[in-house]
Amino acid sequence: MPQHLMPRQAASGAGLGFRRELIEPLKRGVPEVIRFFEIAPENWAGVGGKSAKDLRHFSERYPFVCHGLSLSLGGPAPLDEALLLRIRSFMAEHGIMLYTEHLSWCADDSQLYDLLPIPLSEKAVKWTVDRIARAQDILGRRIGIENASYYVAPPDAEMSESEFISAIVRESDCLLHLDVNNIYVNSRNFGFDPLAFLDALPLERTCYVHVAGHYVEADGLLIDTHGADVIDPVWSLLATAYQRIGDVPTCLERDFNIPDLGRLSAEVETIARLQNAARQPQAA
Amino acid sequence: MNLPDFQAFQHAFGRHLRDPHHTPRPAGVPARRMAVYNELLFNNITGALDACFPLCRKLLGDIRWRRLNRTFFRDWKASSPWFREIPREFVRYLNECAIRQPLPAWFAELAHYEWIELAVDTMDCPTPPHQPAGDLMRQPIVLNPALRLLAFAWPVQRIGPGYRPRKPQPTQLVVYRDAKDRVRFVATNPVTARLLALLGAQPTAGEAACRQIAAELQRSDPAPVIAFGVDLLDDLRRQGIVLGTAA
Repeated sequence: MPQHLMPRQAASGAGLGFRRELIEPLKRGVPEVIRFFEIAPENWAGVGGKSAKDLRHFSERYPFVCHGLSLSLGGPAPLDEALLLRIRSFMAEHGIMLYTEHLSWCADDSQLYDLLPIPLSEKAVKWTVDRIARAQDILGRRIGIENASYYVAPPDAEMSESEFISAIVRESDCLLHLDVNNIYVNSRNFGFDPLAFLDALPLERTCYVHVAGHYVEADGLLIDTHGADVIDPVWSLLATAYQRIGDVPTCLERDFNIPDLGRLSAEVETIARLQNAARQPQAA
Repeated sequence: MNLPDFQAFQHAFGRHLRDPHHTPRPAGVPARRMAVYNELLFNNITGALDACFPLCRKLLGDIRWRRLNRTFFRDWKASSPWFREIPREFVRYLNECAIRQPLPAWFAELAHYEWIELAVDTMDCPTPPHQPAGDLMRQPIVLNPALRLLAFAWPVQRIGPGYRPRKPQPTQLVVYRDAKDRVRFVATNPVTARLLALLGAQPTAGEAACRQIAAELQRSDPAPVIAFGVDLLDDLRRQGIVLGTAA
């Protein structure tokens, strides 16, 4: 193996989104409960200098998961194969085994830099399945697709969102990246039962889980900011999910209003506690 | 060719996101929900631009700055999937697009100057093998690869709230990352800039580079240029612009 390639390390247990703001506190000591980190390749691949040295310091010691932002799996522009090749080498450089992306789109004929809802149609299923299959060919592995948060339900849907996700996972033979906060946010914004939605997903394909906080606007609309503590209904949705899927590796996402590492690791501890509970034999 | 309906929706959605005041909201999309996306996406853009271009923002004023941010998002086909390259896309927009909004003559150069710090800070270029104490006049010189040599028409490094130049003044800057990964800016002169350009084009010993410059300057005697080069190269090595000689 060339020297710059890291041995591969699979993530397990509870993890934390890796952010520049957290690097100095993490260098002083990584709380024991944090078993892996997650990064967006779009923010770290091809970066040199101090950031690169910092990342290497941690990727030599901990497993990392790649969680993409810009692949635009459901987007109308040609699939960005150069981006996929760069992600493939970035994963090899850091021994990363898992890559997940949002089931969304983020570019029309140029980048829009945020995640947008795919219309729920048969043609969109076919289009997205082909792109996931191509991505999996290039990366040489199955990828996970994340159920995304959204604020607009594109009109003229031909199926439900869970049917859309299930069809894509089945037809592209990819994995499910389950985001319980996104289910909760969407269930509140669109008035559906989060548990029924959860149970309609292809949970047996779950490779990875996200949990996060969100923001409530004055009129009650929930915004998936990753800028607040996780709320109790989302924790209980996570606990329910673990009953169905077992203790799949789970990451706490926190991207704004980042508190100190102590408070973040308390939330990561909650993840670990719920995972432990899922491992115990069920009473009666 | 007719697009599938889902893609027609996506294109209508994208057009509205880029220019919400002049393009219709896609059919079937509630205004309140569309407003969430309009705000989220434009905030992403302004967040990236505000962080990289504090001086451009200050000198233009918030209203004109936001108007420019909006036309950038509306008119520029940003191709980079890397979020850190949104500022680079903005610099390209300023240089390559016909922008109707009146801007100071030095504005695009000032933006380039502000962006280059981020660019050099994150340049991915491993340090090549080198002899730090090598003889710079006789051995091929190894330049710091995390380096940009820039020539501006305006004195960009002096522009600020108290100084808005009226006349161009050619300015050469060396911007580089030092051994401690800090980004340094050094103003330089045309001869030093030429020397660095020669060394950057291919590994060259100091004396050979000085002889070439003397020839370009049409000096019959290269000795004064070579003498100047000895001190200059030592100085560049002390600053970390020159790393040493080929191992």
